[in-house]
Amino acid sequence: MSELLQAVIFGVLTGGVYALMATGLTLTFGVMKIVNLAQGAFLILSAYLCWTLWAQLGIDPLLGSLIVTVPLAALGILIYRFIVERVQRVDHRLTIVVTFAVALVAEAVIALVWGPNPAAATPPYFNEAFQLGSVSVPRAQLYAFLLAVAVTAVLQLGLKRTWLGHAITAAAENPEGARLIGVEPKKIGTWIFAIATATTAFGGAALSFLYQFTPDSQDTWIGLTLSVVILGGLGSVTGAFAAGVLLGLAESVTSAYISVRWAEAVPALLILLVLLIRPQGLFTLAARQDAAA
Amino acid sequence: MNRQRSPRQFRLPVLAVGAALILTAVSACGSASSSGTSHAGSASSGPITIGMSLPMTGPVADVSKSGYQGYELWASQVNAAGGLLGRRVKLDMLDDGFDPNQTAADYTRLISQDHVNLLLGTFSSLLNAPASAIAARQGMLYVEPSGGAATLFTRGFTDLFFAQPGTTTSLPDQFVAWIASLPASERPPTAAYVTQDDPSASPAVAVFRTRLQALGVKTVYYQVYDPSTTNFDSIAAAIAHTQPQMIIQGAVADDGAQFVRSLQKLNYNPKILFQTNAPTDEAYPSAIGGAASANGVFTAQSWSATATYPGNQGFVQAYTKMFGAPPTEDAANSYTAGQVLQAAVKAVGSLDQSALAKWLHDNTVSTIVGPLKWDKAGDPEGSLLLSQWQHGTLQIVAPASAATTKAVLLTKPAWDSSS
Repeated sequence: MSELLQAVIFGVLTGGVYALMATGLTLTFGVMKIVNLAQGAFLILSAYLCWTLWAQLGIDPLLGSLIVTVPLAALGILIYRFIVERVQRVDHRLTIVVTFAVALVAEAVIALVWGPNPAAATPPYFNEAFQLGSVSVPRAQLYAFLLAVAVTAVLQLGLKRTWLGHAITAAAENPEGARLIGVEPKKIGTWIFAIATATTAFGGAALSFLYQFTPDSQDTWIGLTLSVVILGGLGSVTGAFAAGVLLGLAESVTSAYISVRWAEAVPALLILLVLLIRPQGLFTLAARQDAAA
Repeated sequence: MNRQRSPRQFRLPVLAVGAALILTAVSACGSASSSGTSHAGSASSGPITIGMSLPMTGPVADVSKSGYQGYELWASQVNAAGGLLGRRVKLDMLDDGFDPNQTAADYTRLISQDHVNLLLGTFSSLLNAPASAIAARQGMLYVEPSGGAATLFTRGFTDLFFAQPGTTTSLPDQFVAWIASLPASERPPTAAYVTQDDPSASPAVAVFRTRLQALGVKTVYYQVYDPSTTNFDSIAAAIAHTQPQMIIQGAVADDGAQFVRSLQKLNYNPKILFQTNAPTDEAYPSAIGGAASANGVFTAQSWSATATYPGNQGFVQAYTKMFGAPPTEDAANSYTAGQVLQAAVKAVGSLDQSALAKWLHDNTVSTIVGPLKWDKAGDPEGSLLLSQWQHGTLQIVAPASAATTKAVLLTKPAWDSSS
């Protein structure tokens, strides 16, 4: 029984971190229909920035993430205004290609600045765990999970209670309708890219002390975050959170009771299952595309 | 040590291997009648050209660079001392980008087009397997600095020589001997085994398990994971659940530190921890929270900068002077391969490949990793050094002839203890 409980706790905590990393992609994919493949590179960039703040100035990665949001938001705005938005005007389908190019360039720049060696922050709590009987709750993982809950809650509140949030939701549910009531796509796109990229600071912070990372670690994480987005449904922040937790749980329980090697296949199997049963994702917003008709 | 990394991409299609093998076969037919001396007689004056292919680009470029520097230092020292057989030594190095197909093509080119006089090996079992096969078909001596997977020595090749003290099967020797030397009351009663699915790691862990079980150490967990695994939390949780006194990990590279971090997150501290490869990496201590956290971790090494074997200190000083940084294990292994080749050529007095191989089978070569002697398959008859992180330094604890300390930490201190 304790083994199952341990697997569930691990699954939930890890899944929360997956969701945290996928939040930005949920927004760009869900609202703008842009598969921003550079999101993985931004995540690694955030991890390196948080790690540098920790290694050079002793700033805890959780706190450092607040600082890192600022340059990351600026980067998101620049990438959107100078690259994505221009390409989007030519052909929306090219955005996936151009964000892939941005990811490659970002990886090269990260490698030039920080080198190829693995990095990982080790704040004082990273090797401590709360003991609940025979079950361990790693402090680092718990803090990352709480950060994920906080970020999801703030984003959800922002989407529900602010004009910008309403505009983003409107653009996601009915792009043409939103345009008719004065929601300007370029402005909304800029905001979404800024927010989406800024949120990678939190995912990067969690990554920086939970796992080792190298400039090319984006390959691993972009696949996982895409899985979360597809599972959760486009544009749904809470859906992404639930999907992340579901994914983490499935991986953890599979590792514990079937095989670690099968755990690697869990995201793919879950996506296949969801696409067969509920192609729009588990928690997707009900999109309306009929307003222009 | 016996490193093996998975290729991330193959630049050339499988056809390249086919083409390489066809080229080899064709050229082998052309020179079959004189394979034993075909490379010895070419250009008896002028430099002796030594060919090798290395992954100078790609995923292991960082460690491969130091490997090539080991070759460079050896060649420069040979030339400074008058060369081999009175001729200068010239290295002909090709880059394979860590692609086994390209490695096969490179060695074919080195032999058939560049007409090199001698060969030296490349990096990892993955690349040395096809390279040594090409060399064997051409009757060329092949001394490899890396590639210790046991499968490389079961193919019937007689011109292959591994320039390290031991392979994957002998990797556990010193550690198991140390466990056996402990009083029964101090031996760990239980062990967990976890290994990457890798030709240099998983066979070694299987040997560990068999031998330790024979000593009465009960196996409570055994897991093989894919090379792509980056999250070890589930494995660590399962291990912690079984509460083993000892953990043996067949790590290859970063997976060693990743696994330790997962144990640390759970604050699970085994009494004894042995990992292959990873603890010798420069970045290992910092990745797991500093040298204090590494305290007590065991590993096996083919070479140590502090070992007192003849020429080792001179190698460390010369390398540091030439390249501005202390040598790595990969640099030392390449240098050793050069030493082996040099000893054979000097003793035989010619570049006759068969005579060189015969001499190596019959003799022991003194190197910076200790005296090397091989069996019929080119498998060295020694064993690797057993090392342990002790207060910020990787100390050799066995064999006694190479030990840098007599002290062994019987119980690994807690992760966060200060050194």
